[in-house]
Amino acid sequence: MATRQSISPKKIRIAALLAVMGPGMIAGLSDDDPAGITTYSVLGADYGYQLLWVLVASTFALIVLHDLGARIGVVTRQGMIGLIRQKYGARSGTLSATALILANVGTMTAEFAGIAAAGQLFGFSKYVTVPVAAFSVSFLVLRNSFARVEKVFFLISAGFIAYIIAGFMAGPDWGAAAKGMLIPTIPFTQDAIFIATATIGTTLAPWGLAFIQSYAVDKRLTKDDLKLLRVDVWTGSLLTGIIGFFVVVTCAATLHKEGIQINDAADAAKALEPLAGTMAKELFAIGLIGAALLAASILPLSTAYSVSDLTGRPAALDDSPKEAPLFYLTFGLITGVSAVLILIPGAPLITILVVTQVLNAILLLPLLIYMYGISKDERLMGEFVATRTMKVIYSIIITVVAVAIACMLWFTIN
Amino acid sequence: MKKPPVKSINTVAKRLVGRSELVLQRKNIRESLVSVAGLIGRPVKYQGGNEIGRLVDVVVRHGEDSYPPVSGLIVKVGQSKSFIDGARIAKLTQSEIQLSSARVDLTEFVRREGESLLDADVLDHQIVDVNGLRVVRSSDLYLAPLDREIRVVGVDISFKAFIRRIFPGALGRGPIPEHVIDWANVASLAHGTGVVRSTESRAALGQLRPADLADLIEDLAGREQSALIEMLDPDLAADALEEMEDDELQGLLRGLPAQRSAELISRMEPDEGAEVLRDLGDDHRESIFLEMDSSVARQLRKLVEFDETLAGGIMTSHILITHEEDTVGFALKLLVENRSRDISDGVVVVDAKGKLLDHIQIIELVAAKPGDLLSTLMGPPYPTSVDINTRLDAVIDEFANNRGSSIIVVDEKNKPVGRILADDLVDALASTSDVQGFAQGSGAL
Repeated sequence: MATRQSISPKKIRIAALLAVMGPGMIAGLSDDDPAGITTYSVLGADYGYQLLWVLVASTFALIVLHDLGARIGVVTRQGMIGLIRQKYGARSGTLSATALILANVGTMTAEFAGIAAAGQLFGFSKYVTVPVAAFSVSFLVLRNSFARVEKVFFLISAGFIAYIIAGFMAGPDWGAAAKGMLIPTIPFTQDAIFIATATIGTTLAPWGLAFIQSYAVDKRLTKDDLKLLRVDVWTGSLLTGIIGFFVVVTCAATLHKEGIQINDAADAAKALEPLAGTMAKELFAIGLIGAALLAASILPLSTAYSVSDLTGRPAALDDSPKEAPLFYLTFGLITGVSAVLILIPGAPLITILVVTQVLNAILLLPLLIYMYGISKDERLMGEFVATRTMKVIYSIIITVVAVAIACMLWFTIN
Repeated sequence: MKKPPVKSINTVAKRLVGRSELVLQRKNIRESLVSVAGLIGRPVKYQGGNEIGRLVDVVVRHGEDSYPPVSGLIVKVGQSKSFIDGARIAKLTQSEIQLSSARVDLTEFVRREGESLLDADVLDHQIVDVNGLRVVRSSDLYLAPLDREIRVVGVDISFKAFIRRIFPGALGRGPIPEHVIDWANVASLAHGTGVVRSTESRAALGQLRPADLADLIEDLAGREQSALIEMLDPDLAADALEEMEDDELQGLLRGLPAQRSAELISRMEPDEGAEVLRDLGDDHRESIFLEMDSSVARQLRKLVEFDETLAGGIMTSHILITHEEDTVGFALKLLVENRSRDISDGVVVVDAKGKLLDHIQIIELVAAKPGDLLSTLMGPPYPTSVDINTRLDAVIDEFANNRGSSIIVVDEKNKPVGRILADDLVDALASTSDVQGFAQGSGAL
C-alpha cells in the first residue's frame, strides 16, 4: 500500500479494533451496576478474600456467554427475543419478553436507587438526582447518533477507574487475594452460599445477554468483525471481573479487617471514610454513580431492542423516533416508570428489588437454554454453529447456573 | 442509515396495484381465510370423523404461482410425524381438517426441492414487505381456496395478530382481515430448500432502486440474505451490490456459492468488482475467478493487482476504443451497443500503434455526419491522461486542474487502459478517509 505509508499496519489494526469495540465492553461493564457493586462489597466485607474465586468463575461464564450472544447477533442479524420467537414460537417469545420487561423495570428501579444513594453521599436529594439522571439518559439516546451514544457510554465507563484507585488506596493483602482467587473454599453457611450465588446472578444478567446481541446487530458488525469482537468481549468481561475484584479487595482490606457489616454499596462508601479516608469514600461514590448511569442507559435500551425485536419493528439508535416509535416509546416508558417508582414516597422498594432479583434468576435459565439451542442450530448459525467442546462448556455453565439459581430461590423464599 | 425517500415507496406501491388484481380484494376470499397459526395443532380427521392426529405443519410448493398451493400436511400420529398429500384434503376450516377418504397411507415426511414448511420456515420469520421497503416478521399466514387448490393468499405482520396467537382456544385463531397483506406484496425469505415468493413480489423488487435494495440486503443475514439475492435479477443484484458497504458485501460474498459470486461480480462495474475481489482472501478470490468467464477473469485479475491508491487501482477498464480512420457512424454504433455500461459519454481515439490521440465527446459525434472520419473531429482540447502508476493525490490534482468529468489512464506505452470517473475518485477518497478517521479516533478514546 504505497500511499498509506504514513499509517502503519499496526495503527490500522488498532483502528479496526476500536471500530468494532463496544458490545463486549459496554454490556460487560453495565453488569457491574449498583446491585453488582453492593454484592461485591458485601462479599468482601463479610468473607474477605475467601470468595474471590466465585468472581473468577462468574467472569469466565460472562466471557463465554457474552461471546456467544455477540456471535449470534452478528451471524443472524437478529436480537435474542426475535430469534426465540422465530425458533420457539409466539408464546415463548412473548413470555420471555414480558418477564424481561418486568425484570428490567425492577432492575432500572435499582439503578435509580443506586443513583439516589450515591447522590445522597454528596448531599443531593434523590428528587434532584433521579429526574436529572432519567432525563440525561433519555436525552442521550433520543437525540444522538449511534456513534455518539457509544462514545458517551465509553466515557461513563471511565468512572469505574475510581474503584481501581480505591482498591490500591485500601492497601490490600495481595497474597491473600491471589489465594482467594485460586483456591475455592466456602464456609457452608446459608449467608455464604447466598452471596456466592448472588455474585453469579448479578454478573450474568438477562438484560445484559439480550443487550449484547441486539447491540451487535445495531452496530452492524459483520462476520469479518468476529475475531476483533472476541477481543472486545474478552476485554469487556475481564474488566468487569477486575472492577469487581477491586471492590471486593477494598472492602476485604478495610471493612472485613475491622469486622464492619454493611448492607449496600453506599453503606460501604460511608464505612470506608474513617478507614481509608474521605477520598476513598468519594471514589466509591463516584464509581457508584458511573455504574448506575451506565446501567440506567443500557437497561431501557436493552428493553427497547427486545420489544421491537419481538414485534419485528425497526430498532436502531440511528432511526428517528418517527421511524421507530415503538423503540423510543419503550425506552421512555421503562425510564419513566422506574423513576416514578423510586420517587413515590412509601413505594415498596424492598419488595420490588427482591421480586426483581427472583425474576432475573428465573428468566436467566430459559434464556441460556434458548441461547444454547440457537448456538447449535445449523440453519441459523451456518459455519459458526457451536463445536462439541463449546457445547460441553455451555452445558456445564448452564448446569452450574441452574444449581446457583435453585440455591438463590431457596434462600430468597425462606 | 440511508432511508428511501417516501416518493419511491409510493411509486412502487402504485405500480404494484396497477399491475395485477390482488386476490385479497375478492370478497369470497376475504371471508374464507384460514389462519395458519391457528390451524397448527388442530385435529386432522378421516372422512367420517375419526381423528388421525394433530396438524404439525403445512407444506407448500412454490414455483411460478403467485399464491403457493398447499402440497401436503405434516400430522402428528402417536409419537411420529407423517406426511399426508395435499390432494387428500376434502375440507379445511379453522377448527379442523377433513380428508376425502376413510383411509390414507401415512408416509414419513422428507423435505423436497421447491417446498417450504409454513410454520417452521415462514411463520415468525423475517419477510420483505415490498411496499414498505422493510424487513418485517410475519405474525400469521392465511390460506384460502383459489383456482381449485388451497393456497397461501395473505400474511399478517401486525402486532395484534401476533398477540392474538398467545391466547388459547378459538380466541387465538380468528383472522383480522383488515390487517392481512396480500401474499403478492411480500417476499418471503423462507428457510428450507428454496424461496417462497410470488412473481409479483419479484417484479416489484425489480423496480426498487439499487440503493434501497442494498439497504434491505444489509438488514438481513445468512440464508435470508442469500435468498433475497437469489430472488433478484442478476443485473439488478449486481447494481445493489455496488451500493453496499464494503464489509457487508464481503460478508455476503462469503455466504454465496463461488459460482453465484462470480456471476454477480462479472456484472458489476469492473473497478467495483476488482475492489471487492481485492479485499477477499486469496483462496476465496481464486475460487471465484475459476467460476468466471476467462476473459472477464483476466481483466479483473489485472485490475485486482493494481494498488488501490494508484490510478490503475481506482480506474474502470471500460473504455470504447476507436481508431482515427473509423467513421463517426461506427463510433456512435459502438456507443449504442454499450449503452448499458454507463460509460457512454464518448469514445477514445488511438493511432495505428494503439497510442492515445484524443477523446471525442458524444455531442461532437452527434453533430458530425455519420460518414466523417474521426480524425476530422480531433483537436484541442485534448483529454487529460495519467499514467497507470500515478498516485491518488496526483490524480486528484489533475482532476482539480482540469475540471473534467473523467481522466484517461494510459500504460507506459501511452496506450489507454481505462478511465477514472469522478465517482471512482469519490469512492477512493471515502475508503482512505475511513482508515484515517479510525486512526484519529484512537487518539480521542
